[in-house]
Amino acid sequence: MNLVLIAMILALLIPIYGAWQDDDIWQKMLAFASIATKTSVMILVVSVLRDDWMIGVVGVIILSVGNAGLMLLAQLIKRMNDS
Amino acid sequence: MCWHIVLAVEEMMNDSYVYFIVALLPLAAFMLTIQINPYNALVIRGILGAIAALVYAVLGAADVALTEALVGTMLAITLYAVAVRSSLVMRLGVLEDGLLKAETQAESGDPSAQLIADLRTIANKYHLRLELIPYADPKSLDQALLEKEIHVTCIARSHHDTHDRSLHKSEGRPYSITTRIRRLYDILQTDLSSPTTSLTYVTAPDSGEKH
Repeated sequence: MNLVLIAMILALLIPIYGAWQDDDIWQKMLAFASIATKTSVMILVVSVLRDDWMIGVVGVIILSVGNAGLMLLAQLIKRMNDS
Repeated sequence: MCWHIVLAVEEMMNDSYVYFIVALLPLAAFMLTIQINPYNALVIRGILGAIAALVYAVLGAADVALTEALVGTMLAITLYAVAVRSSLVMRLGVLEDGLLKAETQAESGDPSAQLIADLRTIANKYHLRLELIPYADPKSLDQALLEKEIHVTCIARSHHDTHDRSLHKSEGRPYSITTRIRRLYDILQTDLSSPTTSLTYVTAPDSGEKH
């Protein structure tokens, strides 16, 4: 199962590289969404690996709340570009 | 109790993926430090927060991870986005019937629309947002500049017959831009290379207890 996690870390490097290279703010937001979701799924995988319900609950909360934060930030940036 | 923690730490250290995950944290932090645009930096801060939450959860601190995700990522980024949006702004006072009408029509051949577009380009270069604020007559425009409601005024010469401050040195320039901020004056003098505008710097009196 360690190999699965290491493969997920390598997949996490792809959006990090994307956020580094691209100067467009929406590309960066896209990379942020990708990373936020990937990290929460990784937390869930770790919680299943260790059979730790506490980490699992935290992973679920981060997975749902991260999307809410992303929506707030996207709304602010969109309004800034409109005005 | 103590042996339990020691066993947990040993088991955690045997997992080699922990090192890879922890190595992501300084990488994201370095990415955050090299950003120039404040909005891009906020998005990268979100990425850093997500990775930090992952690291804390993997190292066993579930409460710290939850706090990082809720406060560090969601609340802090939203508040900072509001703060940056309202502070990085160049407020340009214009006359209601003059430049603002040209801006709404947005004809590319019109010199006033061209001037506003140039100012917008310069403001975007310094990550500022250009905000046009209409005023009824040149007197209230000057008053608003001195009372620090706006940063820059821009008026066409034909509307500016009551209060000529710089006419003597700028004959034949139909637009007059006045600013009360030294840094904006320097920026505009360097970047606004239009032959139709004259640039003036005024010092606003410090009113003290306002703001």
